[in-house]
Amino acid sequence: MTADEIEEYLAPMRHEYADPRSLILPALRYAQGEAGWLPPASMSAVAEATGFTEAYVESVASFYDRCYLEPVGRRVLNVCVTLSCMLRGSDEIFDHIADYLGLDGEGTTGDGMFTLQRVQCIGACDRAPCLQVDSGEQVGPLEPADATCLIDDLRDLPAPERYER
Amino acid sequence: MPEFHVVYRHREYGRPLTTLAEYTRVGGFLGLRDAIAMSSDDVLYAFHRSGLRGRGGAGFPMGRKASFLPKNTGKPTYVVCNADESEPGTFKDREIIEQNPFQLIEGIAIAAHAVGCERAYIYIRGEYEAQATVLDAALAETREAGHLGPDALGEGRPFDITLYRGSGAYICGEETALLESLEGKRGQPRLKPPFPAVAGLYGCPTLINNVETLAALPPIMHRGPDWYAALGPEKSPGTKVFSVSGHVLRPGNYEVVLGRTTLRELIVDMAGGLRPGRQVKAVWPGGSSVPVIGAGSLDVPLDYESLEGVGTFLGSGGCIVMDDTGCIVRACHRLAQFYRHESCGKCTPCREGTGWLENILGRMVEGRGRGDDDIRMLEGLFGRISGRTLCALADGAVMPVQSALELFRDEFVRVAHEGSPRPAPMTEAPVG
Repeated sequence: MTADEIEEYLAPMRHEYADPRSLILPALRYAQGEAGWLPPASMSAVAEATGFTEAYVESVASFYDRCYLEPVGRRVLNVCVTLSCMLRGSDEIFDHIADYLGLDGEGTTGDGMFTLQRVQCIGACDRAPCLQVDSGEQVGPLEPADATCLIDDLRDLPAPERYER
Repeated sequence: MPEFHVVYRHREYGRPLTTLAEYTRVGGFLGLRDAIAMSSDDVLYAFHRSGLRGRGGAGFPMGRKASFLPKNTGKPTYVVCNADESEPGTFKDREIIEQNPFQLIEGIAIAAHAVGCERAYIYIRGEYEAQATVLDAALAETREAGHLGPDALGEGRPFDITLYRGSGAYICGEETALLESLEGKRGQPRLKPPFPAVAGLYGCPTLINNVETLAALPPIMHRGPDWYAALGPEKSPGTKVFSVSGHVLRPGNYEVVLGRTTLRELIVDMAGGLRPGRQVKAVWPGGSSVPVIGAGSLDVPLDYESLEGVGTFLGSGGCIVMDDTGCIVRACHRLAQFYRHESCGKCTPCREGTGWLENILGRMVEGRGRGDDDIRMLEGLFGRISGRTLCALADGAVMPVQSALELFRDEFVRVAHEGSPRPAPMTEAPVG
């Protein structure tokens, strides 16, 4: 993604913030939509579009869990493992998915299709155990079989036009 | 006591109020109309009279907080809505945003009128993408109807709301960390004072409140602060949403009048109770950052003072229930993992201390514990973390573990010597 494209995206919202620094996070989220993570070129483009240094932009991006500085799979499977989900079997769901994908715990599948990760409370404890694909709907309560069905369905889908992480 | 709906007006009507037409039909924007007809000082006084306390966790009186904002500073004044809902066990704001978004928008506009603000921000956690979409649509519709825009708060009194999305950081629910994040920085808490009321967003006077707090304002303004203040006990009037999760049959949100419902009624009558034959072992009644209480405290009325009376806090109202199949040390370890992950790293006692907590509890659970030495080490650790940091995350990490150790000492000692196998989770589907 180029700096011009990012600037164009930011233009209508610039007046909403007293300091252009506030545009960095929206810019990062937007830039991440292209490849699903933030390669160095995207980071430079964000820096150029917002007028801050690359080092500063990276320092911001590196603070947030949902800004990815390393490549991730086409879909990120976020399994909530915080207390309410744990009590209802999130560890078993996680293990089941990892097994199904042939992963040894967290990580990305060899075909680059899925990244599986444990995440902290996603505010859907009434749906525990729950899973969130990218930043989509919080899905639950899940049984292991539901999780594998969901994964099979995702595998058949084309890559999204924009990645919402 | 049954549920009583003030912020969950959609439940009163049995359907989501996600279009402006529907919200208006049930009395939407009458609170704002009434507020605009009053002077801002009178509205501030109404907040104060209502007795409304902050619903995000700290429970600070909302009217007092709003009255701390200095006037005529020559700087803009901001209202910020904290929709970063990340406290484990808490999902009450999600429902307001999903099903009653206009009441939140109206509440923000009322607060803006009271403090003289032209631009407010809703900081919503990045994980709430679906919810942000609902809010975005509601904001657009409100703008189209003129409740936001150049004459939102009366002729020539502009007001608008910007939706700002976080990107995955629990700490951004802490108000000063949230402001840092909104300013385009790493979300690390600030030294207080100055408090946000004086020097908040961009160094300007800022009123920052939780979603549930702001959503309570429209009914307070329309039905009157005295009506609200008469609900529940004198010191904590009004209603509160409790999010019940964990080992209950009907997890979900329940809005009740404070002081009139006991914890047992919430868990058993509203949230469906436990599986047959199971007993309550431990409850974190106000999110995971509060001291845990045991089965002996279930008859406590749900209000700020009564919960403090049994050694815990009402907090965010995220009520996590664990039955007698659960292992308390495993639960504490899981929470310690959470706080370690979410510590922003600014203050050493928290950055290092949460790691120590996780390590010690982890080896205990895995059967690599060092027996009584680990118990002693835990006890020595609490005071080295608590009260030594800029924000409350560290206290929130310590309180559940410290209270659990006091309440379930024998189990801690046993696990420190023998470990704790993973218990079978609850797999029953929620009822209803």
